[in-house]
Amino acid sequence: MQTLEMNVNGSDVRLEIHPDETLAEVLRDRLGLIGTKIACGEGECGACTVLIDGVAVTSCITPAMKAHGRRVTTIEGLSRDTELHVIQQAFVDSTASQCGYCTPGFIMATKALLDANPNPTREDIMHGISGNLCRCTGYYQIVDAVALAAKRLAEEGRK
Amino acid sequence: MSDAIGTPQARLDIAAKVKGTRKYPQDFNMEGQLWAAVVWAAHPHAIVRRIDTSAAEAVPGVVRIITSKDVPVNSYGIGIPDQPVLVGEGEKVRWVGDRIAIVVAQDLRTAHRARDLVRVDYEPLPVLTDVFTAMKDGAPLVHENRPNNILHHIPIRKGNVEEGFAQADVIVEGEVATPFVEHAYMQPEAGIGYIDEEGRVTVIAAAQWPHDDLHQIARMLNLPEDQVREIVPAVGGAFGGREDMYIQHLLALCAFVMRRPIKMVWDREESITHTGKRHPFYFAYKVGAKRDGTLTAVKIRLISDAGAYASTSIPVLNNAASFAAGPYKYPHAHVDAYTVFTNNAVTMAMRGFGATQPPVMYERMMDQLAEALQMDPVEFRLKNLLGDGDITITGNAMWGGVGIKETLRQAAIAAGWRQQGDRWIKPDLGQPSAPHKKRGIGIACAYKNVGYSFGFDDKSEAEVILRLRDDGSIASATVKTAAVDVGQGVTTALAQIAAEALGVPVSRVRVALIDTADTPNAGSSSASRHTYITGNAVYGACKAALEKRERILLEETGEMTVSAKYLYRGRSRRPTTAYDPVTGQCNPHISYSYGTEIALVEVDLETGETEVLKMWAAHDAGKVVNPAMYFGQVAGGVHMGVGYGLTEEFIMENGVPRTRRFSEYFIPTVLDMPRELVSLAVEVEDPTGPFGAKGLGETPTLPTAAAIANAIHDATGVWLKRIPATSEMVWRALHGKG
Amino acid sequence: MWEEYLFANSVEHALELLARYEGRAQLIAGGTDLVLQSQRGQCPATVMVDITRIPGLNRIEERDGFILIGAQVTHAQIAASPLIRDKAPILAMACSQVGGPQTRNAGTLVGNVVNAQPAADGATALFVLDAELEVATQEGRRWEPISHVYRGVGVCTINACREMVTAVRFKPLVNACGCSYQRLARRKALTLPTLVVAVVLEMTGDTIKAARIAIGPVAPTPYRATDAEAHLVGKKAEESVFAEAGQLAAAKAKPRDSLIRGSSEYRTAMVGVLVRRALAEAAQECHRRG
Ligand code: FES
Ligand code: FES
Repeated sequence: MQTLEMNVNGSDVRLEIHPDETLAEVLRDRLGLIGTKIACGEGECGACTVLIDGVAVTSCITPAMKAHGRRVTTIEGLSRDTELHVIQQAFVDSTASQCGYCTPGFIMATKALLDANPNPTREDIMHGISGNLCRCTGYYQIVDAVALAAKRLAEEGRK
Repeated sequence: MSDAIGTPQARLDIAAKVKGTRKYPQDFNMEGQLWAAVVWAAHPHAIVRRIDTSAAEAVPGVVRIITSKDVPVNSYGIGIPDQPVLVGEGEKVRWVGDRIAIVVAQDLRTAHRARDLVRVDYEPLPVLTDVFTAMKDGAPLVHENRPNNILHHIPIRKGNVEEGFAQADVIVEGEVATPFVEHAYMQPEAGIGYIDEEGRVTVIAAAQWPHDDLHQIARMLNLPEDQVREIVPAVGGAFGGREDMYIQHLLALCAFVMRRPIKMVWDREESITHTGKRHPFYFAYKVGAKRDGTLTAVKIRLISDAGAYASTSIPVLNNAASFAAGPYKYPHAHVDAYTVFTNNAVTMAMRGFGATQPPVMYERMMDQLAEALQMDPVEFRLKNLLGDGDITITGNAMWGGVGIKETLRQAAIAAGWRQQGDRWIKPDLGQPSAPHKKRGIGIACAYKNVGYSFGFDDKSEAEVILRLRDDGSIASATVKTAAVDVGQGVTTALAQIAAEALGVPVSRVRVALIDTADTPNAGSSSASRHTYITGNAVYGACKAALEKRERILLEETGEMTVSAKYLYRGRSRRPTTAYDPVTGQCNPHISYSYGTEIALVEVDLETGETEVLKMWAAHDAGKVVNPAMYFGQVAGGVHMGVGYGLTEEFIMENGVPRTRRFSEYFIPTVLDMPRELVSLAVEVEDPTGPFGAKGLGETPTLPTAAAIANAIHDATGVWLKRIPATSEMVWRALHGKG
Repeated sequence: MWEEYLFANSVEHALELLARYEGRAQLIAGGTDLVLQSQRGQCPATVMVDITRIPGLNRIEERDGFILIGAQVTHAQIAASPLIRDKAPILAMACSQVGGPQTRNAGTLVGNVVNAQPAADGATALFVLDAELEVATQEGRRWEPISHVYRGVGVCTINACREMVTAVRFKPLVNACGCSYQRLARRKALTLPTLVVAVVLEMTGDTIKAARIAIGPVAPTPYRATDAEAHLVGKKAEESVFAEAGQLAAAKAKPRDSLIRGSSEYRTAMVGVLVRRALAEAAQECHRRG
């Protein structure tokens, strides 16, 4: 067992873990943050996307120890209580989620994308979410949601 | 009227989904739970000689190893219970998805480690990997209790097909094969089995038909049905793949044996390699038409690979045969349809249920005929498409608002076709992006049943509970029915139907969580049926509740809640019949939905790569309940169709899966989708549907691959022998390399 | 099963840890391949030595006539680097095609090379750049050409239990060079390539002065199509010449039949097509820059 100290969604946590646990396992099984989904377990679908110091990674193939001393943001870290984050609200308004299993991963990928590029073209958006698979939506409403979120964030910024 | 229908209502569960708080089967944990892992068959066809669990049992943390001896009734299967739950010594494994044992341990890692230590000695048997070998006399048998490997044969005989060909001025023929397809729902199998407060064997898992699972589990455990319970939380996609049980009964068995909570979570590889697939089909067609474009006859031979067990291969074949000729009028038809056992993956329901495979073949025939007659493909199809009252190859008159022609007209016009009288003129496709590329445009029409067919008693029950205010108005309404929202949005659609029927805003309607102990049997989330069948049940329950309320108010009983149940039976208004065993004539389906899709593609003539630039999709699902969800179903269906047409193929070699992961099984990414999808809702209402609705879940997948294949032909002049149209496949066709 | 996960704080520290565990320890950077290999029982090491926190290995810089990329630099950083996009665009193109954005954020170019998978986009670009790897051992450091390091599928001459690759370097491309990166894959993202071709062309007027062509994964390692390169030198840049070069390059391809990524016959034929196209595109770029 090894000690892992990290900040998750603003709170410091200290855990004893097996060195080969993945970040997804630690978040889900030890911290109960079930919003991070595991769909492929091999970095090929983006369902488990979280941010480490603001950078999007697939937590299913990230050794948890890599988060040691770092800031981790999961889907649970976006909304405050009942209030949805702008990106989440845009996914609601665009009907960008069907079964929803891919949704947290898309939202986290979107967060990283818009942080890096607040003014993306549709093509930028598509490349930004090209590491995420969805079997339900055909992606169009997801791309719409990202564009809507970008627009609203820009409006918020101008205010 | 509350304007609940046809308006863009937000999905009821979407806020929880975007927050990540909605719980899927893998998200549940219980006090004192153990973990289980399955020991899978290591051979696709073999006799199990010996099972030695001693080494596995010796692993610290292993609690128990469950084998066939622990199963009260060791068989299950939807419809036909021909699958062993666990295969015991002296018994046969028939595909790699068969199970030998279940290891129960303190944690998942231990369970995984121990299962690799279960030693199984096999006596390998010859492996049947293709239907043609399996159909031969003297082929090894997959099931010894049957005379041969042909699970089912359906003949359809209408008119006199030779006469029909004699009347034809042109006759075209062709063959096509379609692949095994993985459902690839994003949420792998998982769940918990436990004994509830009332002593019931309880399962929390994803499912499409909780009450049928219940029935199968009770049978397996030799328990009365009220001693079994299934709870279905959020489901991460299904697409037919959860209509059979893969994990539900195993969880129930674990709970039954262990009397404590057992959790199972499969990884993607287990999910892909050990669950059922869409049937591969082989088609051979001959079609004739007169010079004026009138179809005269069709002769069809189709064979599907049933894999190792029956599952729903017969109902899928029933459907495939009835839709084999497409939505066209044929005075003469001759169909022979077979489904055949092999040692390949079990094949089962998948979006379209037998109606998804034939369009690639029949729509190619339409284009071949149009080409031979030098007619525009739109014009040719419009001459032959079915309308209300027209007679199909099974001899039944079409009913319920046949919108297929309208979908074709609207799609064609949107895609740039021009109409001059009866003549249709193809649009100019613009310049390809490089000199070694060519553009092509392809059309495909398709139709599909809504609801269970062939005399099957399709029914759904719903209960509605109204909470009243002092003045008798409705404070809130709760809908109870076990119609699983697998992502398609049925919960929201039913809430809209209830709101409209009750005349209240959708926000006042709650839909109860699915629990067989609390919600009545709604049938399966399949056959595009819930909006129509369960929608009718909910509508009926609402009307009954309103009547009761009238009485209560009149009699001033002071009651503040009203509840009413309603059982809707499809046959009450639309009786269907089974195939005549000799002629195949019947009245197969309750209702239908229709669709036309058009694909604009660019093919790289040197590499064979195909890019779908744009698609137009016009679908008639009757009255649209929720426009945003309508678009979502169309786009999701097209996505699956693009994968079917271009990238997806579940490959087995000698019965052993070779595409085991998402890095090997290619569902389209966002970059693989056409940059633009134009969706047109054609609302030809079915008077028997709730507010005129039909169903939409499946039709959008049906025409996509066919439209793409036809577009590839338009661009290159070649016909492919099979889909998916991988770059190599197209390259081979272009270079005459078989 | 890993027993320990350690962070090295210097190259020397990393090497010392490797030595201390005598073959049971292995270096880990992004871990995108290693975690899976380990889970699938393909990596025997039980001690992970993480090198991503060693100061100084995260640089992309131009020094002493070389471009240097540290062992921590990810595919995403290379794809976005103005220096690489300017002086070695072929590498930026290659790195931008790996996996998806998330895997590009985690996976490093050096890790990709050390893993020696033939279907490596970045490595193929490094072959065309004649890159060298800096190998650190407790005895000292040395530079090794990439072609010496890659020995076969998953086989790399670097001894991962004793040695560490700290950087990769190559000469910046001269201004007159044109590049092209051609990739064939089963879909447009999240997939290993069926075939990649990286070309760098240098011209004087209409004449080809030098050509470099690297190809993967149609042999156990990426390779340079040396016959084709030689054939091009001194020739006029035109379709027929490019097609001949394509044929020569294809002759050296030895792809296996793959159920998933295509037959040997197809992939060999595609080498010819993609090499021809890459040359034509690179020549056009030369003209544009010229
Ligand atoms: S679950 Fe991590 S990328 Fe698929
Ligand atoms: S909404 Fe179901 S996978 Fe994306």
